[in-house]
Amino acid sequence: MKMKKNTDAKHPRWLLPALGGACVLLTGAAAWYDLTYNGGKLVYPMHSYAFETTDIPMLLAVALDVLYVLYLAFLLIRGIRAQEERTIKTNRTRRLNPKLGFLGFLGFLGFAGFWSYGALGDMTPFVFFAFFGFFGFFFEGKMSNTLMDERYRENVVRAELKAHRVGFSIIILLLILAGQHSRFKVELIAPILITGIALTVALTMFLSEYLLYRYDHDDAAALAEEDE
Amino acid sequence: MDGFTCNLKPFRQAKGLTQGQLADLVGVRRETIMRLEKAQYNPSLKLAVDISRAVGAPIEEIFIFE
Repeated sequence: MKMKKNTDAKHPRWLLPALGGACVLLTGAAAWYDLTYNGGKLVYPMHSYAFETTDIPMLLAVALDVLYVLYLAFLLIRGIRAQEERTIKTNRTRRLNPKLGFLGFLGFLGFAGFWSYGALGDMTPFVFFAFFGFFGFFFEGKMSNTLMDERYRENVVRAELKAHRVGFSIIILLLILAGQHSRFKVELIAPILITGIALTVALTMFLSEYLLYRYDHDDAAALAEEDE
Repeated sequence: MDGFTCNLKPFRQAKGLTQGQLADLVGVRRETIMRLEKAQYNPSLKLAVDISRAVGAPIEEIFIFE
């Protein structure tokens, strides 16, 4: 008797958001319990820790949060691998919704760096400026599921070469500029470099996709003749 | 493209193939065939040979490099 193996089992769409919502609710309830009956021991910063049974709700809630995040990461990696396998098998570009380009707005998180550097001396949020590069998904999405023939591959190389050339030129200029100690305070050089490099990475990511789209569609109107 | 003439279109039409059909036969996109016919794209040797076989014409008559 033949058994059909279900290799593409999918869970319902509502399951992930529902699990996320449950995690938020449980964490909120555990925090309330901790504040009410445990003196906020696990809510406020602490210097040393000794286990008590009243800690259990909060510990369970955090453990569930961690499991949920790990599950999301697993799904993401599995999805990326499936896309890569499909790309190799079909010789077509990955399927991507152009609306993912809106993720580029995450780049505005980089402005948090101005606050964190001033208040805490932490420059890490400046790295988020690199997320502006996700605006390139607008163009990658437009070329979703395109057959990667030799002309397409040539255009990929041309576009990436030009984008990287622009990126490296900007970084070199930035380094020369940052090296002018007489003009900038030393403590400003690090944030300037991090911000500049993150923005350059974003520009390079975006330009690669934009130029590829342009090279592929540059004279599309001129070529739009009848398929005779 | 300087010094490059492409005579693909008459050979393709003589064979009764559309650009899309030829593109499918040689494993490229229709846009690539369109650019080839306008001599705006210089094909690889493999693609040139594949096209030559698909339209049944000698490669040196389809692609002429001056």
